[in-house]
This record gives sequence, structure tokens and C-alpha cells, in this order.
Amino acid sequence: MSDTLAELLRHPALWRGGSASAPETVPTGFRALDARLPGGGWPLSTLIELLVPTAGVGEIRLLLPALRTLATAEGGKPRWIVWLAPPHLPYAPALADAGLDPAHMLVIRPRAGLDRLWAMEQALRSGACAAVLGWTGTAGDQALRRLKLAAEEGRTPGFLLRPSAHRADCSPAALRLALAARDCGLDIEILKSQGGGPARIERLPIH
Amino acid sequence: MLEGSPATITPAPASRQRALAPVPAPRAKPAAGRGQLWLAAHFTRLPLDALLPGTGQARAAVVTALDDPRRAVVACNERATRQGITPGMSLNAALALVPGLRAEEQRHAAEAALLDRLGRWALQFTPVVSLEPPAAVLAEVRGSLDLFGGAMTLVRRALADLSASGLSASLALAPTARGALWLARADLAMTVTRIDAMPGIAARLPLACLQWPADTVATLAGLGIASVADLLRLPRAGFAARFGPQLLDELDEGLGRRPGPRRRHVVPERFDERLDLEDAAETTGGLQPPLERGLARLENFLRARASGISVLRVDLLHRGGAPTRLRVALARTACDAAHLRELLRERLGRCRLALPVVALRLRSGVLLPLRLRDAGLFERGRSANPEATARLLDLLRARLGHEAVFCVLQVAEHRPERAWRIAEPGGTTSLPVPWHAARPARPLWVLAEPQPLENWEGALVTGPERIETGWWDGHDVRRDYYVAISRAGVRLWIFRERPPGQRWFLHGVFG
Repeated sequence: MSDTLAELLRHPALWRGGSASAPETVPTGFRALDARLPGGGWPLSTLIELLVPTAGVGEIRLLLPALRTLATAEGGKPRWIVWLAPPHLPYAPALADAGLDPAHMLVIRPRAGLDRLWAMEQALRSGACAAVLGWTGTAGDQALRRLKLAAEEGRTPGFLLRPSAHRADCSPAALRLALAARDCGLDIEILKSQGGGPARIERLPIH
Repeated sequence: MLEGSPATITPAPASRQRALAPVPAPRAKPAAGRGQLWLAAHFTRLPLDALLPGTGQARAAVVTALDDPRRAVVACNERATRQGITPGMSLNAALALVPGLRAEEQRHAAEAALLDRLGRWALQFTPVVSLEPPAAVLAEVRGSLDLFGGAMTLVRRALADLSASGLSASLALAPTARGALWLARADLAMTVTRIDAMPGIAARLPLACLQWPADTVATLAGLGIASVADLLRLPRAGFAARFGPQLLDELDEGLGRRPGPRRRHVVPERFDERLDLEDAAETTGGLQPPLERGLARLENFLRARASGISVLRVDLLHRGGAPTRLRVALARTACDAAHLRELLRERLGRCRLALPVVALRLRSGVLLPLRLRDAGLFERGRSANPEATARLLDLLRARLGHEAVFCVLQVAEHRPERAWRIAEPGGTTSLPVPWHAARPARPLWVLAEPQPLENWEGALVTGPERIETGWWDGHDVRRDYYVAISRAGVRLWIFRERPPGQRWFLHGVFG
């Protein structure tokens, strides 16, 4: 590297993606995925977008290890995990099997689409939840930006689950993954990762 | 000796007195303030009046004891009494006397509520009112005698009030609370004003008016004690050793030899305020400024009492129309106006005004003690904060409705559709179900109703898991469950009905 370039790089106005301070994270529970994410896990206090071709390809199983860690993060006191407008009802026996206390899973089923965005923003902003999982459907860029700000303010990770059709949309989420099921595993494509780069993980074994 | 007259204390030889009374007899000088005068009202038919108000003159009616195989009569109205029914009689005996008898089972909650109302009624005579459950109210009226024109006028007025509301009571006045209670229970409409007259009058009372435990009364009867006069002749020490010091204390309180402190009956405070609007508001937006004022006053009111509320009612009053009533329930006792304002804004946003609003009325529920919490110095916002969770819950419910926010709990049941239930969030942690470790995995999503699968293509992965149970309640299931993978790669939980049905259903998604 020439001296001029090194000098340029020291300029305070210049920001380099790779040198951003590592965000606070929680391990995903999958080593192959952790290795590709900056900070080695799901970033906390921000918005994470998961794009799925159809509900049920394994997105919840992918999140389960992290949810387990988040739910009992500090002081051993269980914290709420919000399930906002899920496509089906969470099944209590399966939650208990997975090590999540069903009594601390807050299910919210708003009727109107706008109420979903409002409720997700409130849940994120309150800082009262360990994580918020939202199936918000259509949401504009501005609405997503609000959600991201709310997540940062409440220091709560917000997982936004949206159909793959939104793949080409512009999104402020700090991390965007596209999921696809393949042979009892999950193909994960990292579309966007703040502080990291795009990557592909094939057939991640999830149980 | 129980009898505290000077004659029995002074002449007894010192040695003999020590033998009889190792518990020193209290001072002969009355400990209860000489100035007190207690009005006791004993409600003889309270169980009946609580359930069937105003049935004094109607057809014969009785109230029977709870959890009693004999269903003994606890209280009966006048007509029943005239036809020969007395309390203590079994219901069968009473029915034999009066075939068309109306019988109700005693309800303690209704009695307690009526007694509470009577306590409030008694507060018109004096601020010092005390309840004596199950059926008496005591009021210290010495200071109010001049106001009401003497003891007799006061008693007459109280009796007139009570009989106007169809209640039968016996009233008595005495210098000690317990003494007045005894007289009222004995149905002696007496007024005793001098404390030194109490022992003499108490001696004339039957033992029943003390309302002591039945086994104590039985033991006393075995000793040949049938009246209070007999009782007062017993040696103090022996009595205290045999029956415990409490009953001795009760006697001393009644006779004015020791003070008998009583718990005051205090009517719980509530916030209830009406705010008139200068201009009638057509939209809910116009309600914000007055509402803000009202909530600020509510907060001051609550903070001054270190209390919070769990329910706030807001009535929107219209000119010439029934008021619109809103109710805001809080998940956690709170007192701050900002939180309530936020909840009301969401709540008002959902309601449509049919008529312009001319006034608001804010009413609190019962005031609850507020548990204040210190702000942590090193609070990082990641630990569970019950206040923040309660606030979030309130806010979500105010806008989305109560039923839109819930949690699911598991139920110990083999039928998959009954193995869970909807519950209030943040409640009890669900208990582990014993057979969990042994059974195959369950899907994370469940369908509200199993959906029939027509022309389905996919591969079965594991199974079958046979679930065949529930024949005893008519909702029996006979199914073979499989885990399958659909063409889109989604793991499904499907089942086939056992013969004769044989159809395939989708019941869950593994997520």
C-alpha cells in the first residue's frame, strides 16, 4: 500500500466497512452461519430481515437457539418474546420442547395491516422484550426505517419475516437473509450485512 | 376472681389470693376511657337480609348454613318465626312445619358486603365506626350525643333508618364496645352510661351473648356455668389456664377493666371528578386538553396517597344522550398521567363520537398501594423490567383490543388440539407435562382446525405416531400422525384418520 493511500485511509471522514466496531451479537447456534456474520451472531438492537419463499421452510428453527439464549439472557429472569401476526398460532407443547417458556411468548394478532407496524414499533421501542418476531407483510421503506430506529432505541432485536417477493426491495435492515429449504437443510443467502459482506451457506442442517 | 369488685380483692388473705390469682387482677379503675359511649347494632337476620332484602313481611323464608348436611336454619323471617321455625332447626324439620318455605343457602360474601354498607351508614353518626363480623356494627357516639339530641333520640333515629330499609337490628349503648355488643346480642335495648355499672349488668346476661366457641361453651356447661354471673365467680388464673388468656381479655374489655382497641372502618377513597368542556367537542381530538387536566389532577391525587389504580373509567357525557363509557384496565398498578394519557389516546382513537361531548367524568377504581421502584444506576435495559412489560401490554391492548394480545400455555392432554390453551400473558409458567420426553417432536405452528388435504404430493419422513384417545368425552380422535415434506420443502405435520375415515389432514407446520 502506497504512503498516499495509507494517509488517505487515516482521514477521519473516511469510513471503511470492515473496520466498523463489531456490533453486540448473540450466537445463532449454527457455527457455519456465525462464521459469516460480523460479530459472530445475530446483531442485537437492530432490524434483521428474513426472506422466505413460503412460511415454514425452517425460519423458526433457525432462530430457536438464539431465542432460547435471549429469553433468559440476564439474571435468569425470563423475558418476553413477541410473535406479531404469525401466519399460524405458535404451538405451546413445541415451544416447551424447544426450551422456551410458553408463558413468556406474547402473541399479538392485530386485524389491520397498519396496526401490525405500529405494534411492532411499540414492542421494539419499549425495551421490554427479548426479541420481536414480526410478520408485517407489505411495509414501505419509511416504515422499515422507523422499525429499525425503534429497535435501536429499545435495544431489542427485531426479526422481520417477509415473503421472498420483497428480495429486490430496498431495505434499511442491518442484516438481510434469503432462506430456501433444500434436502432437510436450509440454503441461506446473506443479501446484506452491515460490517460484513454477502455470502452463501448451503444446506445448513437445522433440526 | 373474675369479679373485680373491691369486696373480692381486698378481704382475701394474701396467700389465698396468690393461689387463686397468679395473674394479677387488672386495676379496678377503668382502663377504657371513661368518656366513651358505644352504640352497638346487632343485625339478627343479617344472612337473610343480605340475600332476600325486604322479605320481612313476605312468605316464610329461611337461610340455611353452608356445607352442612342438615342444612340447619341460620336465619328466618318473621312469618317463618310465627309458624314455629327457629334458628338451629334442620331444613327438613322446617319444611315439615311450613311446606311452601323458601330456602336459600347462606352467602358469606353478600353478608360481608351488607355489613360494609351498614358500616358506611353508621359513619353518619360518628367518624369512629368499627365492624364486628359477622353481624354487628359498633360506633363510638359520645361526642355526637349533643348533635343528635341525646342518646335516646339517636337510637330512635338509627332504628327508624334501619326499619325503613327493612333491616331488623337490636341496638344498645354501653361505655365499652364489647359491653355494648353483649347487650345488643342479648337483645336488651339498654343504655348503660356509667362504666362501674357494667359488671352488675353483665352478670345478668346469658352466656350465649358472648358468642364464644361452641366447645368452650360446652365445657363451661359441663362445669355448671350457664350465665355470665356464674362465669364471673370463677378464679381468674384457673380460667386463663384452662381456656386461654384471650377469653379473659375479652371479659375484661367488656367490663372496662382493660382497653379494647378496635380497628376503624374506613371507607376506601376513590377519585371521581367531572370536567365540563367550554365548547362541546365534536371529535376525540378536542377531548385531549380537558383530559390532560383531569389526568394531572388524578396523578396528584394518587401521588398524595402513595397509591395507584388498576382501572380507570372515563365517561364522555353528551347533551341529551346516554354517556359513552370507556374503561382502561392496566396490567400493573400505575399512577402516572403520561402513561394513562397514552392509553386513552389509543382508546379514544378507536371510538366514534355519535354526539358532541359536553363533559368528561374520570373515575378511579379502588386505590391500590403503589410499589415504587428505584431507578438502577447501572440499568442496561436488557434485564426484565416488569414495569416496561406492563406498559407495553396496556398500550397494545388499548389500541388492538384485549383479545388481540395473549399467550399460549400447554395443557397435559394427548389430543394435539387440546394440548394448549390461550392464557393471560405473564401469568404462571406452564408446568412441564410428564410424557414430553418420550413423545415424538411437535410442530411449532399449529392450525386452528385441521385442514383436509386433497391431491397432496410430498414425502412422508417419519411416522406413524398413533394418537387414539378421548373416547370418554365424545371428542375422540383416532389418528396416525406423520412428519412430511411438501414439494416446497416445508416440513408438515399431517395425519390420516384411522378407518373408516382414512382421509388426510394437515395439522401443523414445523416452521
